[in-house]
Amino acid sequence: MTTSTLKPAELLRLAWRLQRRGLVGMTAVGVAYGAIQASAYISVAGTTAAERAAFGRQIAAFGATYSYILPLPVRPDTISGYLQWRAYGALPLLFVLWSLMSASGATRGDEDRGLVAQWLAAGAGAAGYLASRFVAFALAAAIAVTATSAAIAGGVLVTGSALDAVAVVEVSLALLAVTLCCYAIAALVAQVPGSRAAAAGAAAMVLVVLFFLESLSRTVPGLRRAARLSPFYYYDRNTPLTPGSTWDPVATVGLLAAAIVLMVAAAALMRARDVGAPLWQRSEPARPALTAASSNPLLALPVTEALYEHRRGLLAWIAGTALAAAFMASVGRQIVDVVREPGALRSYLTIAGHGDPYVALTGFFWFGVAQLLLAAFAISQVAIWTGEDSSGRLEVIFSTPVRRWRLVLERFLFLLAGVVAVVGISSTAYFGVERSQGIALKVADLSAAALPLVPFTLAFASVGALLATRVPRGTTAILGALAFFSYLATQLGPLLKWPQWALDLSVFSLYGTPISTGVNWSGTWILVAVVVAGFAAGAVLMQRREVGS
Amino acid sequence: MPVAIQADRLTKDYGAGRGLFELDLEVAKGEVFGFLGPNGAGKTTTIRLLMGMIRPSGGRATVFGLDCRRQSVDVKRLAGYVPGELPEFGALRGSEIVRYIAGLRGGVDGVAVKRICDRFDLDLRMRFRQYSRGNKQKLAIVLAFMHTPRLLILDEPTGGLDPLNQQAFYELCAEARSSGATIFLSSHVLSEVEHISDRIGIIRAGRLIRVAALHDLHEMHVRHVELEFAGTPPLERLRGVPGVEDLQATERTVRCTVRGGFAPFLQALAGMQVANLTSHEPSLEEVFLAYYRDDEHAEAG
Repeated sequence: MTTSTLKPAELLRLAWRLQRRGLVGMTAVGVAYGAIQASAYISVAGTTAAERAAFGRQIAAFGATYSYILPLPVRPDTISGYLQWRAYGALPLLFVLWSLMSASGATRGDEDRGLVAQWLAAGAGAAGYLASRFVAFALAAAIAVTATSAAIAGGVLVTGSALDAVAVVEVSLALLAVTLCCYAIAALVAQVPGSRAAAAGAAAMVLVVLFFLESLSRTVPGLRRAARLSPFYYYDRNTPLTPGSTWDPVATVGLLAAAIVLMVAAAALMRARDVGAPLWQRSEPARPALTAASSNPLLALPVTEALYEHRRGLLAWIAGTALAAAFMASVGRQIVDVVREPGALRSYLTIAGHGDPYVALTGFFWFGVAQLLLAAFAISQVAIWTGEDSSGRLEVIFSTPVRRWRLVLERFLFLLAGVVAVVGISSTAYFGVERSQGIALKVADLSAAALPLVPFTLAFASVGALLATRVPRGTTAILGALAFFSYLATQLGPLLKWPQWALDLSVFSLYGTPISTGVNWSGTWILVAVVVAGFAAGAVLMQRREVGS
Repeated sequence: MPVAIQADRLTKDYGAGRGLFELDLEVAKGEVFGFLGPNGAGKTTTIRLLMGMIRPSGGRATVFGLDCRRQSVDVKRLAGYVPGELPEFGALRGSEIVRYIAGLRGGVDGVAVKRICDRFDLDLRMRFRQYSRGNKQKLAIVLAFMHTPRLLILDEPTGGLDPLNQQAFYELCAEARSSGATIFLSSHVLSEVEHISDRIGIIRAGRLIRVAALHDLHEMHVRHVELEFAGTPPLERLRGVPGVEDLQATERTVRCTVRGGFAPFLQALAGMQVANLTSHEPSLEEVFLAYYRDDEHAEAG
């Protein structure tokens, strides 16, 4: 029997250091989201009892449309009922996404980087390693949840109301418990495949299935028994902020207990496999060694090489965006019917512009989401570029007789091809489903809305390409914050009566609402100018930058 | 003799005394030049300057008369390069990486790829992330040699290779040299440059402190001597001889290190009854350490 040379406190300190960046990012997002949702209530719900009753009816109908994603709203005419649905209904999605990334990173990601081998070589066992990472994440999650709930409670105080403090603590505990349980599920699943990407993908798939098991069971009675397998089922049993509802301590404690059991199972699987290897390894059949270069012609041309290498990711983006477009189009008619009823949400009719309200409003909602998704797509590509730059690949590429600006041009062309594919296929899906819903969307209007998405996405990437040369480690976070703020400013700013100058700060404002008001040419030309200037400056900086130092 | 690599007061100053300072160096065409120094001495900085990866703070370097900064693309057309840090190619297979880099470079001969892979027993079917450290290094060597370059710039190229594959690498270098290639090889492993270099340069703290033929370095500085006396060893007499260090004595035997010329040492032994005397060349490692010790003594003085 071996004894660990690293003491538990030292293990925890090391694990905590690896958790800090995620904590800062998640806390910032949670606080911003929570504060905005809480402080927006007065603006969207009104101040009189009649206004709030009308608002409650609208939200109840609106929420029914979104029951695939959010729980059904109960008493949304009250601020606590509204926040239970709008804030604490959506927050698990954000926190679970964080737990997924953290767990797959702590297990397979740090194995890929060789960190886990270092820990094990220093005397930490698989159980000690996973336990310290779990405890560090639990501490970080507790801080992030507390800060988010404090922001929500503070936002409510600003409106002159107050939430029941005990209920806030109870719902926060439930949020923490489901976050930890999902972390443990992701850590367990991550033991099976052999790389971070595969671990994150497999864990995401499991969590998505568990999520939809619960969310679909709200409308599909046949799923109600199976939904008990989902941690989200036990989270949804906790609605202490809703008037007349209660906290379910057994469900919350059960989630925490499940998290511990799953982490123990993850440690057992980690002990049963080789470091850096999948849980089950296929024995390779004996074959003569391959000593020739691949004959794949795509690899010999740089742009097609990138398309080939990143084909799976690109296909995932195309499929995911097309599915989101189809979903938004499928619920468009119900959403518009809700918005057209008297109440605060009618202001969306003004924001969305003139013309057929079904075309304008569904377009406003979908193309708003599309901008967010495409900004995320651009950020993900910038993250790949910064990864290539820091992993030594750039040094190998520049050891061949290629001009440096050519690499920037190739990246631009790869991204252009990717954006055209994502926008083209998602727009086609959107068009098809809209027409099947009886919404008279014209090809010309769709084109006017879809085409400016291309310079919009490229503009994000060009800013990222520039940032990557100056602050490579912070590029993703800065671009993410820019996209998040821009989205909030466009979607919620008008409802919250933000000043015009604040709304104009949003990158999304340059895109406008082309589906109903035509292409915002001045904004589009600004985006094109940003793209040209950004990539040109990127080429110049690439020419001057030092590689490998 | 035509010059392959020339550095004139080449400087890269990172501040705080880090970098490379006023490097003057010539490497002849067809020569194998070993560039020795401990970690952080400036070997990789020199190599990155030659490859145009980084800009010099001062001075200039040329490769076959081409400026390493302004004509770096032309330089790279002539050069093969093994970087000091292995790159990441994720899920790409070895064969795909070779195809990709060959596409960027052009002029790659499939026969050469096969020959090098066979020599190193490298299977290109595997994904890069599945490769061991040694196999990644072999792939880097394939990428550097596959286009039969006129110049090979190799930054610690045998890191991670086992002794058999190190031998295969030395043979590959010897073949490249016999076909006229110039090789600039950095290392902190002295036995490596001993195998293949014509000349070596020793760099320390960013400054080139010595360039010499390998033979000169062996001859010049340090010898280990063992003396067997018929009677009691004359320890006090030997202690006073300039250059005699690390004196150790047993009943009739004395071991010491003699630095510098041998004449004072032999004069001191005149008239003594020496039954046996053996002297052997030090390893290059010891020569290397001797240089540093000299330098430290000079600084202390």
